[in-house]
Amino acid sequence: MKNRCLIIFILLIQGAGMSALFSQDLSATDIVRKADEKFNGEKSGYSVMAMTIIRPEWQRTIEFKSWTLGRDYALALITAPAKEAGQTFLKRGSEMWSWNPSINRLIKLPPSMMSQGWMGSDYTNDDILRESSVVTDYIHEIVGEEDINDRECYKIKMTARENASIVWGKQIRWIDKKEFLVLRAELYDEDGSLVRTEIGSDIKIMDGRTITSKIELVPEEEPENKTLLEIREIKFNIPVGESYFSQQNMKRVR
Amino acid sequence: MKEEFKIAWRNLWRNRRRTIITSASVFFAVFFAVVMRSYQLGSYDHMINNFIESFTGYLQVQHIKYMDNPLIDNSFDYNNSIVSAISGIDKVVSVTPHLESFTLASSGTQTKGVAVIAIDPVKEKNFSDPESKLVKYRITDEAIERLKNAGVIPDEVLNKVKQNLGRSYSSSARVELELALTDKDKELFIPEILKYIEVSNGFLANDDDGILVSDRLASYLKVTIGDSVILMGQGYHGTSATGIFPVRGIIKIPSPDIDNRLIIMTIPAAQKFYDAEGKITSLVVNLTDKSNRTIKTAKARINSLLPDDNTITKTWYELNPILYQQIQGDSQSGMAMLGLLYFIIFFGIFGTVLMMVSERKREFGVLVAIGMQKKKLKRIVTIEMILLGAIGLVCGLLASVPLILYFYYYPVILKGDLASTMEDWGWDAVMPTAWFGPYFYWQAVIVALMVVMATIYPLRKIGKLKEIEALKG
Repeated sequence: MKNRCLIIFILLIQGAGMSALFSQDLSATDIVRKADEKFNGEKSGYSVMAMTIIRPEWQRTIEFKSWTLGRDYALALITAPAKEAGQTFLKRGSEMWSWNPSINRLIKLPPSMMSQGWMGSDYTNDDILRESSVVTDYIHEIVGEEDINDRECYKIKMTARENASIVWGKQIRWIDKKEFLVLRAELYDEDGSLVRTEIGSDIKIMDGRTITSKIELVPEEEPENKTLLEIREIKFNIPVGESYFSQQNMKRVR
Repeated sequence: MKEEFKIAWRNLWRNRRRTIITSASVFFAVFFAVVMRSYQLGSYDHMINNFIESFTGYLQVQHIKYMDNPLIDNSFDYNNSIVSAISGIDKVVSVTPHLESFTLASSGTQTKGVAVIAIDPVKEKNFSDPESKLVKYRITDEAIERLKNAGVIPDEVLNKVKQNLGRSYSSSARVELELALTDKDKELFIPEILKYIEVSNGFLANDDDGILVSDRLASYLKVTIGDSVILMGQGYHGTSATGIFPVRGIIKIPSPDIDNRLIIMTIPAAQKFYDAEGKITSLVVNLTDKSNRTIKTAKARINSLLPDDNTITKTWYELNPILYQQIQGDSQSGMAMLGLLYFIIFFGIFGTVLMMVSERKREFGVLVAIGMQKKKLKRIVTIEMILLGAIGLVCGLLASVPLILYFYYYPVILKGDLASTMEDWGWDAVMPTAWFGPYFYWQAVIVALMVVMATIYPLRKIGKLKEIEALKG
């Protein structure tokens, strides 16, 4: 009898918890986590992307494949243009290496290079490494609800935690209410001035998930410069182990 | 007039000591001024030759943005017809295409930021001529050891060789110069020494995919001929430029600053490396002389030949304002020093003239009293002064000629701390004199003017002369 009471009690609590989760009263942190996991996969991910670097006088496109496992492991392989194809980048924990087949060299990227552009784009090496976590390194707060392209969005202000090592002071993200898509993000530096804007668009269903397949990055200081990231193929939670992210594999991966 | 000249000449040698003292002061004025100025102008010339004629050129055609932002992105299409059109302009000596950029050079664990200059090996012969800068001789421990064991040269000569340990040379003349042997030793031992310190070297073929590395950079990267250097950098429009390049030769650049960080390759190899098909960053133009007028007219003519607004011609002083200002500043302070020198010398001359007038006051008085016209007396004194000045002037100039000639052909090679300081500043530690030019005649003119000014005093004195007083005095 006592046991049954306990079970009912537990069920009741669980039920209450479940219903809270399914209701619209999600906490700001939950929204950010959901959006993050939706895009990066809960465990691992594989994607084929095309990055177009747009400058006032020219533009060029780099195609690459990338594998990720959790937050700590990532591997990227450049597939086009031909001159740069075969270069790989490996991230293990907080360290990053690059392999260049034309010079047969493995180079460890020093911390000083983290803020430099990756492959000449507006993305920094740090962006690619995603050293910081949008979930644990920020304090989240819903500051409003706005429509972007006729989609209802939460407007969430993310303030960097004091002990977190992040280059940004704060971010403002517009996250779609239904599908948890980041449709717009504004990134500010420590002084609170806008540094860059990221815009997610071209919503598609890929590998069973609705995601934004195009992400545009516009640096605030040079608005005529742009980097456009287009997702060609994406797979979530692929079977890939930690051993895949090794220096040996950097030279082998195709 | 002939008679007056005769009297003046006799007057001069009547008091030999006074004449010698006065013309000696003129002599030293001319001598020091000419030699000093010659040294100064000579070292500027050397700097300009060293740095501009073989590095920046007098004029450069560039992309308009290249000056502020020397990136490979700011390059332009190489166009053969424009090159031949520019070559046809009056007073243009050479037109040389360059593709210049900065990359990282790496070998083993050594990495360094370097300047990469891509050249056309044939056209470059008329410009910086890297082939003449290839290291031909190097004084190493091994070479000294072998020289010692061979026992062909005496100890004192060997010691002189040892003092230059670690130096490398691109010509035998330079070895001779730096070893500073006596003429006899030179004849006997230089060929022997050269035999032991000679090193083999290579150059770039026309479509070579190899590189030349500057001497100091090569020793930093620890590479020699046959080794490879990895270059990493950014190419055209943000591509990543990476490649392995075999070292074909080692070159010695006089300026240590450049010698520390220069790599030379062929233009096709660089265009492939940077992914910049058909592009160059500059056309370097050398002219017959560096006078302002030549540079300006050539600049205007080249500008009118350029096909679009994206390219422009820059002069060496626009390209290198720091060097230009340094030369200007040095020249100004040199002029100030000369001014000071002239000032002191003028009072030296004036002092002897003053002495002469007071010594000869009685003589003048007698002459006038017995009926000599003051006018005539004035003429005689003027001729005397001019003769005095001319003797000093001619002697001064003549004395400076052998000195200037000697140091023009055998310039002073600075050694020790001063030399290393100069090399740290990026200058070759050599001080040649300048060849005879306008500066030479101008010193003469200025000193002649000073003599004329000093003549005013005795003329006035004669004009105011009162016979009675002079005779009494």
